[in-house]
Amino acid sequence: MALRELSSLEKFLGSNKPNKYRTQGDKKVPVLQNNKGRPVVGLVTIACHLAKEAKRPELVGDSAESRAVVQQWLEHRITKVDGCKKEDIKTILKDLDHYLQDKVYLAGNQFTLADIFMYYGIHPLIVDLVIQEKEQCVNVTRWFNHIQHYPGVRHHLPHIAILRNSIYSSRQH
Amino acid sequence: MAAGTLYTYQENWRAFKAQIAAQYSGARLKLASSPPAFTFGQTNRTPAFLSNFPLGKVPAYQGDDGFCLFESNAIAHYLSNDALRGATPQAAAQVLQWVSFADSEIIPSASTWVFPTLGIIQFNKQGTEQAKEGVKRALAVLNHHLTTRTFLVGERVSLADITVACSMLWLYKQVLEPSFRQPYPNVTRWFVTCVNQPQFKAVLGEVKLCEKMAQYDAKKFAEMQPKKETPAKKEKGGKEAAKPQEKKEKKKEEKKSAPQEEEMDDCEAVLAAEPKAKDPFADLPKSTFVMDEFKRKYSNEDTLKVALPFFWEHFDREGFSIWYCEYKYPQELTYTFMSCNLISGMYQRLDKLRKNAFASVLLFGSDNQSSISGIWVFRGQNLAFPLCPDWQIDYESYDWRKLDPNSEECKTMVKEYFAWEGDFKHVGKAFNQGKVFK
Ligand SMILES: N[C@@H](CCC(=O)N[C@@H](CS)C(=O)NCC(=O)O)C(=O)O
Repeated sequence: MALRELSSLEKFLGSNKPNKYRTQGDKKVPVLQNNKGRPVVGLVTIACHLAKEAKRPELVGDSAESRAVVQQWLEHRITKVDGCKKEDIKTILKDLDHYLQDKVYLAGNQFTLADIFMYYGIHPLIVDLVIQEKEQCVNVTRWFNHIQHYPGVRHHLPHIAILRNSIYSSRQH
Repeated sequence: MAAGTLYTYQENWRAFKAQIAAQYSGARLKLASSPPAFTFGQTNRTPAFLSNFPLGKVPAYQGDDGFCLFESNAIAHYLSNDALRGATPQAAAQVLQWVSFADSEIIPSASTWVFPTLGIIQFNKQGTEQAKEGVKRALAVLNHHLTTRTFLVGERVSLADITVACSMLWLYKQVLEPSFRQPYPNVTRWFVTCVNQPQFKAVLGEVKLCEKMAQYDAKKFAEMQPKKETPAKKEKGGKEAAKPQEKKEKKKEEKKSAPQEEEMDDCEAVLAAEPKAKDPFADLPKSTFVMDEFKRKYSNEDTLKVALPFFWEHFDREGFSIWYCEYKYPQELTYTFMSCNLISGMYQRLDKLRKNAFASVLLFGSDNQSSISGIWVFRGQNLAFPLCPDWQIDYESYDWRKLDPNSEECKTMVKEYFAWEGDFKHVGKAFNQGKVFK
């Protein structure tokens, strides 16, 4: 999974020669085999490294605050979303929905790596939702739909149809 | 890619639409928003401007290729790229839908509510209450639409977002305090996201959302009224308007205060709000020559027998100077009536100079072979034009020569130009007609 995400990120960043990766340990932590320096270890570290290499520093946050928020969401993705238990899904989505009520992007007012990797991480959860469940987290689905349409992001994942007009309750609260 | 000039006054939300669109599309847009390139109320009334933009309104766009457009929405559309305009027929129509929505559902209510808080128009309680309801209706529609959407059309910023956000700028800055906007979280989320996109920020700067609803400011309104209103009227307006806010009784007749015709529109207000330039002549020592007195003599009495002798008797060589001017481009002068308009246009633009200047400018010759020259008397020892940016429009089209008041040349010229008769030896064409600046 992580390797496919990194390859999608590389495409998003427009790099023309793909990097070489291997995985490490039971959890299959990705490792970027860098022929210059030391190997770069871990999804988050590699992603930030790639963004900087591609001269897209705004993707890791354009201010100290938003850089911290980006890291926080990337961390959240790795520790809470990945491999979450079925009974946790509701809480994860509910919390995210609440957070996104007054936000378009996860960090600041700009699209960042946090959006990309949370989108990748949340995708399997959204696939399983029925329409009514999607309507219950309208902010998540709105955000999700925006990110999946963001040019160059979706690569390895199937498009998920999002209905604009609610069929069930018009408002959750 | 479009490239051209946008005429506007500064901080015009209508112009912002075009400026932001250009930020997205990469269209090269020069801004003419301050003197000498553009002076609101002057440049847009010149014949040259009116021949391109018959309404005389801004914003107005002129391409480097000569292509001209007025109406801010058309200009913004022209300066956009396909993504902003909506790439499919459906998307393009939806963009148009929201642009029209902004003009017809937001702007009228927003203006009625916000302008009194800026002192631009008279406060009217009923009008303001109706406007608030109008704004609420528009907000509700937007809020519902944005529940499931990030931007108004499709998944990226379009002209719809640019237009609607710009038309809500004043609302969010002046009156939509947190409790008022609380029922419309989706609209605020969308608005904040829009105005924080780099392309918006480059034009708008930091947009600070209102913390406390601004109220009608009677004092500011009185201050901003143009002089044409009598002080009595001013006071009346101010008091009546302030009352309904203080006590909440339903005094029916008060609601009818402030008839529409007496109100300035937002454009006049912009003019009025321009910082009052300080009197450019304030630093000069007092003079014994009273310009008005001479002008009275010149207007009412015989020039040769009374006005000229009076002039030379009282003329203050230290406090005033005399100048000869000649139009630089006589070969471009065609019909004499048009040349005359050139002179009167200049006088009009120099209106504020009247207290400190006198001139007689004459047209010589006939159609297609004429020339313009004149004599100016100015307060001070320098040309007054550079003192004030408003005055610079025409002066560059003339050659200026300071005359020595003691010289024979000066005496003769003053006599001939003031009296509109004589040999005019240096001209070599017959006198045709003259215009006096007084
Ligand atoms: N519908 C026009 C309105 C333009 C307009 O009203 N412009 C005003 C300034 S707010 C103007 O230039 N007025 C000058 C005048 O009327 O002389 C647009 O959106 O461009």
